[in-house]
Order: sequence, then structure tokens, then C-alpha cells
Amino acid sequence: MSIKRRIAVYVLLGLMIAFAIFFSVTVFGKTSLRLDEAQSLFQTNRDVPGMLNLVAQDVHVPFYHTLLHFWQLLLGQDIFVARMLSLVFFIGTIIMTYVLATYALGRRSIGLFAAFLVTISPFMNWYGSEARMYTMLAFMTVLHVYFFVRIMRTGGTNNWLFWTLTAIMGLYTHYFFVFVMLSEFITLLVLKKRFVGKRPIRSIIIYGAIAGLSLLPWLLYVYNLGFASNTQPSLGTPSAGDLFDTYAQFIFGFQVPAVNTLIVSLWPVLVLLAFFALQRTKKKIPPEITLFVLLAVIPVLSAFIISVTIRPFYLSRYLIVALPALFIFMAWILTRYRPWISRTVGVVLVLIVGVLFTVQVLSPNTPVKEDYKDAVQYLEKNAGPSDVVVLAAPFTIYPVEYYYKGTAKLTTQPIWNRFESGSVPAFDPAKLEQETKANVDSYQNAWLMLSYDQGYNKDLKDYYDKHYQKVSEHKFSPGLTIYEYKTRYDEPLKVTDGS
Amino acid sequence: MEFLKTIQTSRFLLSLNVLLSITYFVCVVAVFPIGNVPLFVVLVLSEVFHVWQVFGFIHTVWARKRIKQFDARFQPHVAVFITVCGEPADIIESTVIAAKKMKYPHFSIYILNDGKVASRPNWQEAEEIAARQGVNCITRTVPGGAKAGNINHATAQTREPYIVVFDADHAPKKEFLQETVGYFVDEKVAFVQSPQFYHNADVNQVAGGSWEQQALFFGPLLKGKDTVNSTFMCGTNMVLRRIALEEAGGMSEKSIAEDFLTSLLIHEKKWKSVYVDKVLAEGLAPEDFLSYYKQQFRWARGSLEILFSYNPLFRRGLTFAQKIQYLSSSSYYLSGIIVLINALLPLTYFFLQLKPLTINTMTLALIFLPYIFVILYTLQMTSNFTYTFRALSFSLGSSTIYIKALWATITRRQNAFAVTSKTRVSGNHGKLVFPHLMYIALVAAGIIYGVMREGWSASMLSNIAWAMIYIAAFAPFIAAAFEGTRKAPKAKKIEAHA
Repeated sequence: MSIKRRIAVYVLLGLMIAFAIFFSVTVFGKTSLRLDEAQSLFQTNRDVPGMLNLVAQDVHVPFYHTLLHFWQLLLGQDIFVARMLSLVFFIGTIIMTYVLATYALGRRSIGLFAAFLVTISPFMNWYGSEARMYTMLAFMTVLHVYFFVRIMRTGGTNNWLFWTLTAIMGLYTHYFFVFVMLSEFITLLVLKKRFVGKRPIRSIIIYGAIAGLSLLPWLLYVYNLGFASNTQPSLGTPSAGDLFDTYAQFIFGFQVPAVNTLIVSLWPVLVLLAFFALQRTKKKIPPEITLFVLLAVIPVLSAFIISVTIRPFYLSRYLIVALPALFIFMAWILTRYRPWISRTVGVVLVLIVGVLFTVQVLSPNTPVKEDYKDAVQYLEKNAGPSDVVVLAAPFTIYPVEYYYKGTAKLTTQPIWNRFESGSVPAFDPAKLEQETKANVDSYQNAWLMLSYDQGYNKDLKDYYDKHYQKVSEHKFSPGLTIYEYKTRYDEPLKVTDGS
Repeated sequence: MEFLKTIQTSRFLLSLNVLLSITYFVCVVAVFPIGNVPLFVVLVLSEVFHVWQVFGFIHTVWARKRIKQFDARFQPHVAVFITVCGEPADIIESTVIAAKKMKYPHFSIYILNDGKVASRPNWQEAEEIAARQGVNCITRTVPGGAKAGNINHATAQTREPYIVVFDADHAPKKEFLQETVGYFVDEKVAFVQSPQFYHNADVNQVAGGSWEQQALFFGPLLKGKDTVNSTFMCGTNMVLRRIALEEAGGMSEKSIAEDFLTSLLIHEKKWKSVYVDKVLAEGLAPEDFLSYYKQQFRWARGSLEILFSYNPLFRRGLTFAQKIQYLSSSSYYLSGIIVLINALLPLTYFFLQLKPLTINTMTLALIFLPYIFVILYTLQMTSNFTYTFRALSFSLGSSTIYIKALWATITRRQNAFAVTSKTRVSGNHGKLVFPHLMYIALVAAGIIYGVMREGWSASMLSNIAWAMIYIAAFAPFIAAAFEGTRKAPKAKKIEAHA
């Protein structure tokens, strides 16, 4: 590559990184703390054994939390600082996507466009500024897959060692990393003749087993704690719509239901895009494309099938492992089109993503927005010492507590003592009256903050509506509403100093 | 030639095609909730056809090996027939010159002149060319049987044990006979077919689309048919054993697809056929839309006639594989009615709010997308990346031609054998795509009507997307019809292959 071209590539990658940093620092990093982030902070703001204990009780693995723990020790314990760790991995994913796509498919233009799609993805930008492990998971995926492609091309023990090392890091970043390894294994079975090294199947089994066994200590630790889960939200069984939503979210971000319906309903357009790829060409389909297709499909499909048949754990953010491969595939497929179709489809795609990126940023109804910050400010302003704030679901106390400096008492319903070991108490309709009275009877006003519906928020609201006078109602973000109820009509007791 | 390169498609991928198409079919027929019953029945019928097409395609391209005898030393006397029916003199002469240059010890060239019986004003030119080039000319004076009649007439007047047929515009390469006649060392081989190759494919949209459609046929399809002894004659670039032809009653004059029917009749007599996957002659694709339209109609009509009058399933003497292959080829032209059904489904929703299935559109996508993607990928793989969107467009766009041919077949309307024009027929052929333009107008009206009724609902959006796919797929076909109004580059002149 000539120096001019190299500089041009660096400049373009620099611009992409600048884009990611700009929106992270000025927009996404400044949004309200979200429930998951509050958990991250709650778990990592303690010593390492304590942190590991909490993470083990959660549904995650500890690599990200450990990094975040030390990141905060070094740079400070603010949510903005915590989010910047995700930004680092977001930038890493942009760069590694370029490196991987260029190496695997032999064309810088594909690498650059794939990296560009990652950069402007509203989904990646969202998680690039969330104090969770998702961009780290994406980064580990592209890094790991890079070594897999190297194995495919050149074989070699060193590549297998790096592959194993990145697999261990990936597995300790998120359990869903196992789907990346599964996709690679299937790729190897399909393309085993394309692998340069000797006995690749034997190697992947041995090195994969080493990586898998490395997770064993953690699993034993979790097992000894009894697989307790005190913060895991209940998840529903996914539908086919969720499956397509996942890909729509990867590309177009989180949109209001009306827009989302519009996007996923236009799925037949995919057939047309496939038709466009029918072109007379001497360019063969690189074998690596099989890998990227499987990486884009297998994790999503596997999680879907398991969620439908065994236990629901389908969340699009867990499936971020499929995102870089999807974008690399998209960047490549455009090169199969006739130039004018490629340009048109590329420009239209970027424009649509750009518009929806803006909508995601500006719309208060963006589904993933959790505006606890404004909700708490509202409570601080309006709820007094003679009031009580009742939170449901109980675990939403984490983000509320982060901001809350008000005078009204905070409680949860079902009533939950976080400092006792064990999971969040399940909702019991028989205890509804008793717990409500215990929560609100001594207070003038009850502020019922409902979010993260675990299936009983309506029961709670109905009960409050029926037994107390609703004074106000205020919605802050999708699924986050505060209802004010008058619970007593006697004058509050005035405490005087007796002088 | 890229289209003739063999790509070994894995049996896993081919089996996956069958599995996904059956899964999709079962879901449509037995799993998804039924909406409007008549529409559902129509949809099921169209899906039966799709599954059959997929099955036929997979059966064709399934990797098999066939051992064929070949002996280059086998060099019997050959009669080279160049069929002529009023084509321009320069085209005929180029073909004659090319034929004369074939490297082979014993062959005689005959121009089979049908220009007189077809009342072509230039019919005498063929005789002049024959005199000039020192070859024979057999001019028919009694009409009948179209091209088949012309060949039969010449067959009766010649004695060579092997007959080569070239259309007037198909100039052979010098090695044509060397590469084909050696297969007749196997005494059961009745005919040898080599590909048609259009060297004017880049002249304009019509020629390009026409060639790209043909590339799939002369590439993976005929190569696949050859592995199960089901190659059929394609009218030109073929060598026949006289005795086999005579045993089948000569070239059949009962069909306008005389080559296809004669092949079937020959195979019935347990003869073998061979496909040579080398370009041994170059010809001309139709360069104007009207010629393309007539050519497609003739092929569709002839094939459908065979489906209805000589249904391969019930022909004794054919092997099971041959029955599948003949049925698959002859039934292909039913796709016209299937495309029509599928294209009309969005309109029934726009105007009548009727759906064949009441399934959530996402669930349908979950089943349909893997099915269609794998098929398209397999199509690309097996055709060695020569099948194009334009070829697909021409296939889908030709649905109106196939429907017209189907109607003519059912009503037994007589159609004359029309030789594909070798020169561009000027003019605007937009009226031939009137149904497609009508479809676009109906879609536009339907969208307005539907959106006014129910807004941008999920069903509306999906149906709009489906309609847009058909419109996009018809677009190159429609554009080709209007090409006559634009200035197109001059067609290449056929050059004799030295």
C-alpha cells in the first residue's frame, strides 16, 4: 500500500474514532444511569472478593467487572468514567473490524465500510457508552475471529495459542461467547479443506477444550454459591419478530414500535438485495464469507432456539457477538453488486442509519432509554419527608439510589432487604395489601415509581388506584412512570422545638 | 468459458435446498393458519410447483459421473446442414465459410434453403452463396413441417450416416467435428449436442438478458442432464446419427419445438445422447425485443405441448431420471402462471384485504428467507457466477409470454414456426410489456387505496415490499422492451473462425 493510501486509511479510521468519541462524550455518555449500569457500579464498588461474589450471583462472568473495578480505582468512580471503558472497547471494535475484514477479504474498501457501519451503528454507539460488558464482548469477538482467520490461512501453533487466549478472555467476558466458538467450529467442519494447518478439527477440539476448561473454576465458584440470581430480570420467550428485531437493532438501533414495525415489515426487501447480488463475476466467494455468515446467524439462531425450547435468555445485547460479522458481510455483499446498485444501496443504507441514529438520540420514546436521572430529580423536588417513594421492580432501587438525595423514604414493593442474602422476593398477590400498608400507611403521599415490569406492575397500580387517590402521573421514558397518591388526609404531625 | 466450468457443489448444500424447500412447503400447507381459502389453494399450487422446480434443479445438478466413450480416430462421413430461411446473405455466408474451415477429413456442406417455401424475397441468395462457396444447396419447393420439414427433406436427399445441423447464424469453430463425432464410436449414441454461445451478448439489453438466461441452461443444466443421459437437442450445433433419427421417424414435425420432441422420441428408443461442454460454435442472440418475445413463445409453446401431449411421465422407454429431466424442462414454462399468482398476491391484499395465510409476517420471514437465500446461493455456485439479476428479470418478465403460450397450448391454437430474426427488428416494443406496466399502475393504485384504508400497517408494508420486488425484477425486462427507441450500438458481425 502506498504511503498516500495508508495515510488515507488512517485518516478515515481516525474520523470514525472521532465520531464515536464525539457522540459518546457529548450525547450517550451524558444520558441517565440505567439499571444494568447501576448494577455494574454496585458490583464493582467493593473489594475484589466481594465483587466476584456479587457477579457470581448475577448472570455474568467477571472479566469486565474486574477491569471496571481497576478502571474506576485509577480514574474515578463516576458513571461517566465507567462508561468510557466501554468507549475504549467500542473504538477497539471499530479498528479490529477494519483489520479483520481487510485481512479476511483482502480489500481495504470492505474493511473500511464494515468499520464505518460499526461506527455509525446506533446499537454500538448505545452500548459504547453503557457501563456494561457488551462492546468488550464485541471487541473480544473480532479479536478472536481474527486469529481464527489466521489459523485458516496460515495454521501455526502461535495462532492457536492466541486463539485460545482470546477465547478464554471472551468466555470470561460473556457466556454468549461460546456461540462464537460454536460458529467457528461449524465453519471448520464446512471448510476443513480450506484450512492450511494439519488436523484443524483435532486442534480446535483440544484448544477449545482448554479454553472451556479455563472457565471451570468460575463455574464451580458459581455452583458453590447455588446459582443464586437476585437481579436477573425475567425474560419472555422470544418470537420470530424478536429475531428480526435483533438484526434491525444492530443496524438501525432502538426505535419506537411504529418505526420498528416499519423496518422489520420490509423484510422482503432482503430478497431483492439478494437478487441484486446475482451478477456475472469472476470474483469467487471467499471461504471466509462462510465464517462471517455463520457468525452473524448461529449465535442469534442458537439463542433463539434455546430460548424457545429450554429457557428464555434471548436479549439482543447478548448477541452483539454477531454484529461485526453482519457488518463485514454487508460491506462485502455490496461489492457483489453492479457499481451503481452498490453505490445506491450503500448511500441509502447510510442515510437511513443516519436518520434513525438521530431519532434514537433525540426521541424521548426510544425504548431503551431509562430516564432515572430526571425521575429522581422530579422526586427530590416534589416528595417531602412525610412521603414515601415505592419502587417496583425492587432492583430498580440501584439506579434510583445512585442519584437520589431527597428526603422521602425509599422502599420497594415487593419489600426487599438487599443486605440479606437471597434473591428478590417474588410478587405475592396475597401479600399485596399487607405490604402496601406497611410501605405507605405512615406517610402523607406515596410516590409509586414503576419500571422494569416483572409482570405485576399493573396489579400494583390497580391496587393503588383503587385504595388511594391518584394525584398525578408523570412518564419519564418508555416503561418508567411515577404516580403520586394521597394516602392520608389528617394533618401531618408538626414537630416543634418547644421554645 | 465461465458458464461451462464445472463447480462441484456440495451434496450437503444441495440437500439443504431440498430440506429448506420442503420445510417451507410444509409450513405453508400444514402449519401456518389459513386465511382466504381460494387464495390459499392457489398459493399451495404455486408452492407445489416451486418445490418441484427446486427438486428438478437439484436432481439436475447433483454431482454424478458418466463415463462416455470417445475416439478421435472415428471419422465417418458427415453431412453438414445449414438451415436457412431468408436470413441475410452475409450471415449465411459467414457460417458457410466457417463450416468449410472445419478440420475433418470427410464432410459435405448443404445449405437447406427454406426461403422459397417461406416466400422470402431473398431466397435465391442462398443458392448464390452455395455456388460461390462450392457447397450444395437444397431448396425446398413444397412447404411443410417448418425447420423439421426442411431437415427431413434434406435427410431424404443425402446419404451420409451422420448429420450436423447449424442454424444460419451459428458459425462453427474449426474443431467442431473433431470434438463431437468421436462420441459416435459408442454405437448407442444417437446425437451429440454442443452449447449455443451468443457472441453478441454485450450488444444490448435484449441480447445480454437472452444470453444470460441461456448460460444457465447450457452450463449447469445441460451438463447435469448429460450425466443421466437426458441431453436434448437444441436445434443447432448438434450431430445426429442418421439411423437413430430415422428410427424416431425423422425430426418431429408435430411440434414447433421439434428438437425437444425428437430428442424425447429418440431417448424412448433407448438411444444415448451426449453433451459436449465446449463452445464449438458461436451464434447470435436476438437483438430486439420482438424477436426475443417470439423465440421465448416458440420454446414455451413447444415445451408445453410436449407436457400436455407427450407427457414424459407416461412415456414408455424413458428411464426414471429421464422422465424427471424431461418433465422438469417441459414444465418450466408453467412458471408463467406461478409468477402471475405470486405477483398478484400483494394486489389482493391492497384491494380486497385478502391473504392466503394469516401468519405473522416475521414468522413467514423466518422460514422463507433461509429457503430463498440458499437457493440463490446454490444457483450462483452451480452456474459459476454467470447467472445474473438480468437473467432472473427476463425469466420473471417472460411470464406473460409463457402464459400466452400456455393459453395457446390449452386452446390448441395454431402457431406458425417463426425463425428468430438475425437482424434487429427496429421499433418500440413497449406494447409487449403492457401487462407489466399495468401491474405497476395497479400496485401504485393499490398502495394508495390500502394505505387510505388501514395506514402503514405491517401487512401493508410487507405487501408493498413484495410488490416492489416484482416491479424491480420486471424493470430490466421493461427497459429492454423500450430499448428500440434508444440508439443501440451496432451489432457485431459474425466472423468466420479461421
